[in-house]
Amino acid sequence: MTSEAVASCGRCGSELEVGDLRCPICGLAVEDVKAVLPPEREKARVVRCDNCGASLEYSAEARAPRCAYCASVMHVETAEDPVEQAEAFLPFTVSPEEARGALRRFLKEEHFFRPGSLASEAVLHEASPMWWPAWVFSAGARVSWAADSNAGSRRSAWAPHAGQVDLMLREIRVSASRGLTKGECERLAGPYRLESGEEAPRGPEGARVERFDVTRSGARRQILESVEVVARREVERACIPGTSHRNVHVAVALSKLDTTRYALPAYVLAYRYRDELYRVVVHGQDASVVLGKAPVSWAKVVLVAAGVLALLLLLTLFLTRT
Amino acid sequence: MNLRCQSCGAELVVAPELKTTVCPYCAAPSVVERAPSLDRPLPTFALGFALTRESAEGRVRHWLRTRNPWSHGGLARALLREVRGVYAPAWLYSARAASSYSASVGENYTETETYTTTENGKVVTKTRTVVRTEWRSLRGEHEEYVPDVLVTASRGLANVELEKVEPFDLRVLARYTPALVAGWVAEEPSLTRGECLELARKEALERVGRRLGGFMPGDSHRDLRHETRLEEESLELCLVPMWVLAVRYAPEKPPLRVLVNGQSGEVYGRVPVSWVKVLLTVVLVLGVALGLWWLLGGRG
Repeated sequence: MTSEAVASCGRCGSELEVGDLRCPICGLAVEDVKAVLPPEREKARVVRCDNCGASLEYSAEARAPRCAYCASVMHVETAEDPVEQAEAFLPFTVSPEEARGALRRFLKEEHFFRPGSLASEAVLHEASPMWWPAWVFSAGARVSWAADSNAGSRRSAWAPHAGQVDLMLREIRVSASRGLTKGECERLAGPYRLESGEEAPRGPEGARVERFDVTRSGARRQILESVEVVARREVERACIPGTSHRNVHVAVALSKLDTTRYALPAYVLAYRYRDELYRVVVHGQDASVVLGKAPVSWAKVVLVAAGVLALLLLLTLFLTRT
Repeated sequence: MNLRCQSCGAELVVAPELKTTVCPYCAAPSVVERAPSLDRPLPTFALGFALTRESAEGRVRHWLRTRNPWSHGGLARALLREVRGVYAPAWLYSARAASSYSASVGENYTETETYTTTENGKVVTKTRTVVRTEWRSLRGEHEEYVPDVLVTASRGLANVELEKVEPFDLRVLARYTPALVAGWVAEEPSLTRGECLELARKEALERVGRRLGGFMPGDSHRDLRHETRLEEESLELCLVPMWVLAVRYAPEKPPLRVLVNGQSGEVYGRVPVSWVKVLLTVVLVLGVALGLWWLLGGRG
């Protein structure tokens, strides 16, 4: 949330944005920049309508101060919750030709279960360059954890353990895309060069920008959820002793959370093979990252299954004879 | 204090615990501005009313009809009097809570044991599996923010009453401006900041305790103790919307006070119990029990 950031929270150091009344992480009130000086002595004030000058009252129907005469509604400062917008666009460095080349290489890859005619019969149906939305955040996190593990267990298979660890989460990438699957986003997200971010989109003609389809509060919820997921993963990987664990609980106190909204380039290609469409995603900055589905040759599968069954049968026959 | 209506110049009399008034001559709504003090600062936030008077009354009527069967019979036909929309002062507290805890964590395990029993007149030995619990001690640290603790700042509104009509949706919090309370009753804080801070700390500690209860590993736990330091506390004055009503359900009884959350419509009041109904129920239950006893075994 770099471009819109106004200040950072006085308590947890997280970035605040225009329109925040309280820190979204720790709840500290954001100081009012337009605060008027308090009165020296007591006085009664009539709030007037900006439009017609009549006295104004708060209306529960309008959920805002409303003038009874001209019905104009006065704006009050509430926490804003706008729909998210991308702040940085990464440029395409893979051209459409290179993307098509990557698809051809993908189709030529030798996999046993693929039909042999895939590379020759597959026809490119559609190639659409697009930017998919993602958040990239960095934060410090003090993670408290408690879990059962087999380490130190006595009569029961489990023993309780607890600990606290300070993590630096750097450039954690969270997908906001609805067009790409979660798995696709996870595998695409790594190879992007975030420092190449630009203010405007730059790429092949006709490239689409997938919008962030969430509001700021929804985005924060998703980011906090992934903070917990990352923290839990880290705790399970590095902190809990022993070889197996259960009942893992984590509590996270975040500090200095800062988030940037990115638009990340990728090609979504579709090819047709024997009346079926298959989707392939090619990374927009690294043509060696190709994710996709390929048809399965059922004839080969059936053959292999039959072979395995025959082998098993032979084996049992052989074993029962001896 | 010399307060004049800005509309017609009439003299206004405002009680010191009120923030708003309506001029008795020209009906102009005024908001009183006073020099802030530690116990009575300017509010930082306000939550506007989202529930109109009519819907608040509707909620209360429904609530009165659906009370328990032993409540006073007059409730269903009661009159709603003095329906007032009040902005009640409350403190919004937040802090970072760092706890050291210790507990006994129960880890279950199964054991096979042999036992003897009599089957068809013979003594036989059998085995069975039983679940036993091994208690292990656990110590640790826990740190989290406690962001949204709301406590009353008004002597007129007990903190328990506020808790009964909570929660308020704090996402729609607005920065305080006089226009938000114009035309409504708005109260100044009547409890000191210190009293409220104690109340808020107590509530925050209770919340931490509940969080820690859910944080414990194992199959069960006991003797959970925690020592919690509340650090970097903040306290902001906030005005919350509340419909206050007096319900007249019997001419000889004092009216029942009912509160309605002006945002969510949650209703709270201490329902009067009809002792006649309770007595009748007790007599009835005793009668039935006695009758059953007489029918089933009493005679034999």
